[in-house]
Parts: sequence; structure tokens; C-alpha cells
Amino acid sequence: MFNLSDAKPNLWKEVFESGELLHCFNCGSCISGCPASEAGEPLLIRNLARKVILGLEEELEEDDSPWACVTCSRCEEMCPMDVKPFELALAIRRWQCRIDDTRIPPVLPEFFGRGYTQSVEQKELRKSLGLDALPSLGTVPGLLEKFQAMLREVEIIKNNAYMFGGAA
Amino acid sequence: MRLGLFPGCNMPALRPDVEKAIRVSMAELGVELVDLEGYVCCPAFGTFPSCDEDGYLALSGWNMSIAEEKGVDLLIECGSCYSSLRTGRHHILGSDSTKARVNELLAIAGKKIDGKATPRHITDVMYHDIGCKTIRSSIRKSLEGLHAVVQYPCHTLFPSEIVGFDNPARPHVLRELVEALGAEVDSYSCEYMCCGGAGGFHATSAPQAEAFAKQKFDAIRTETKADLIVVSCITCLMYMDHVQVSLSKNGDTKYAYPVFDYNQLLALCMGFDPRQVASIADVPRDGVWKQMTSLDSAT
Repeated sequence: MFNLSDAKPNLWKEVFESGELLHCFNCGSCISGCPASEAGEPLLIRNLARKVILGLEEELEEDDSPWACVTCSRCEEMCPMDVKPFELALAIRRWQCRIDDTRIPPVLPEFFGRGYTQSVEQKELRKSLGLDALPSLGTVPGLLEKFQAMLREVEIIKNNAYMFGGAA
Repeated sequence: MRLGLFPGCNMPALRPDVEKAIRVSMAELGVELVDLEGYVCCPAFGTFPSCDEDGYLALSGWNMSIAEEKGVDLLIECGSCYSSLRTGRHHILGSDSTKARVNELLAIAGKKIDGKATPRHITDVMYHDIGCKTIRSSIRKSLEGLHAVVQYPCHTLFPSEIVGFDNPARPHVLRELVEALGAEVDSYSCEYMCCGGAGGFHATSAPQAEAFAKQKFDAIRTETKADLIVVSCITCLMYMDHVQVSLSKNGDTKYAYPVFDYNQLLALCMGFDPRQVASIADVPRDGVWKQMTSLDSAT
């Protein structure tokens, strides 16, 4: 049972300021066919929509299920009310990252450091396949620095500079 | 036709043989691929799109600005890269204030986006711009006599309003492209089901994700005569290949369906060397090219 007297009625504006969210009538079309609805902690998007609309801040903060999303966007196609359930899942992830830095995916500093989620150059393997060097970020002189200078201006990096080599 | 090849991260890092297959097969079809120097991660949905919207759209704009400067659209195989860029473009161009903010960030790096470059999925280009007829006449070997099943990349279907070029409820583009190579494409009950390999599903819930994949593979096993699986997304490719190893190890049924990216299969049918265009896989694939029929000797 939730005590709605503790709820934060304007939570939806903080999380996902989309008037469309309020049209959700909990039909469950977003769950039907969703692979992650079968996850260990099932992703049940309509429940997330309820939590946001009702303003159940603490429950939303602790909910890991948005991170199980496969990102297939089937729910966006199926939603009859144009609530944009996949955008909602991403928006909840962003809100969680804003209020709790331990939610920030560990791959983000890696991305900031090299421009990719992993090492992409594979010089020897490319040579064996008859491929030229990958035209990656590192091959354009000075571009990695510009890339990082740009990213230092976005909130998540500004506010968590310690993760990004003291970025600010 | 001139397009900018957007390789993403997984393809160059883990399956560069697919990049080779794309480069050689597109050249054979008369498509000139130019490099997008200094491109970065799309950004993947699990990175900036999950933490910071400005960061997401600035990086999306970064990649499109490189193509725009060269006067080309982006050619993309990876479903997630395609969807991330396509959705990014939709948001950037959807509001003047968003576009202004993205350009403010890009200006720090001396870049700018107008919105002239469009992200295109490779199956869209092959089906709508090149056409099955041209593909059919470009091959020297055929898959005649072989049965295939296809895996449609979800990210190219949904939401159709933003990413769509096929029928989202009953897709057919990849099926027809595979048929153009001579294979018979079998239908089955889980044909339109996601592979389950992208995003956080497998990472957060490996046993559940594998049970999900097992439904698909069991349907392929019991309902089709499939000799191979054809995909056109690097995640579908790696996941559907690798998950068969886990399913075979953890259960009583052994699964060993060779999985190909479409352009790998096309490049093989064009006569390119499998050691260059299809050399990396968990499930062995050499049985497939040994069964190809030469069209040269038939004429």
C-alpha cells in the first residue's frame, strides 16, 4: 500500500515533462511483447507510468527495472495514447542519474575518455581482413580534446567532474 | 550513390569482418562509401541517452554534422546506432530551442548541424535504392536449395513514425533481400520476436534473457527447415550466434544455426573470400558456403 499523502504530485514534471504521460490509462499495451517484462525484476512500463503520475518518488528512486529495457521501442509503436513509453524509461533513468550518481553507467567515463564504449581500433585484425585504419576520433589531431571540451558543458559531466578526470 | 559509412562501436571492435563485407558488397553494387572521420559512439542508449539529454543530442548532432559536411547520408547496419541517430535527429529538428542548444554545444568543437544528413539503415538502402533485381544480378553464387530464417532488427521497425521504412507489423524487406540470393525463407511463429540481445535485458537478467531466446530457437527448430539465420544488426548477429553456445551448454538441446549479417551472405554470393568477409563467429559457418551453387558454371 502506498500512502498518497506523502506523494509528490508534480513529480512527473521533474521526470518526464510530457503532457501525454497523463493520458496513460494503464492498458498494458506497453508490456505486451516487451522482452524485458520477463526480466528478473520485470520492466512493467505502465507501473512506472503510475509511479511517476502519482508522484511516488521513493519507489521510483529505488526501481531498477528501467535499466532492463532492451531499447527495442516496440512499446512506442503499441501505445494507443502516444505516451512514449520508451522515452519514459530513458527519462526515468536520467532522473535517477541526476539524483544518485551511483546510477551513472560505468561506461560513461570510458566514452568520455575515447569517444567509444570500447576499444575500436583493432589495428592487426583490420590489417588481416584487408581493411584500412578505422577513421576514429583519435585519427583527427586535436579532435578528442574538442569532443571533451564540448561534453564538459553538459550537466551530468559538470556535476560529476570527479568521474571524468576532474573534467570541470 | 554516395553514402557515409557509420561503423558504430561493436562492428569495428568485435566484428570487423562485417565492415569488410559491407565495404566490398556495396562497392560491387556501385555505392561509394566515404569515411566519417572522427565519428563517435552513436551514442548508445545505455550511455548519454540514459543520463543526459543534452549530451545525447550533442553527440547525435556530432555524428550527423560530419556526414552533413561531406554532403552524404549515413549508412548504418547496427540497429541501435540507427535508432539512436534517427531518434536524435527527430528531437534536434523537432524544436528550434533544442536545435539551438545542440548547435551551441557543437560550436565548442567547431561543428554545426542543419539537419541535411539522414541516417539510413543498410537494408532500407539495399531494398529501396538498389533493389532486389540489381542484387540478384550481382551474385555469382546462389543459396538455391538452402532454407533461411530472418531476424528483423526491432530498432528499424519501432517507432515506425521515426525509424520506419518497412511494415512494422508484418515486415518483409529482409525476407525479400534474402530471397534475392536464392534461399527459401521459412516463416515461423516467433519470426517477429526481438532477439533480446540489446540494452540491459541480458546484462540484468541473463537466465531470463536466455529463456526468452530459447523460445525463438525452439520455434526455429520445430517449425522450420532453417540451415541458417540472417540478420542485419550487429547486436542480433553477435547475440543470436553466442546465445546458442550458452543454450547448448545449459540445456539438453544443442543449437548450431550459422548466423550471418545480410551483407556477409551477399559478399559470399558475390564470390568474396570468407576469410575476409565472414571469419568471426562462435557457431561455424563454413557449411553454408560449401553448399552454395555456382551460377558461373550454370551458364
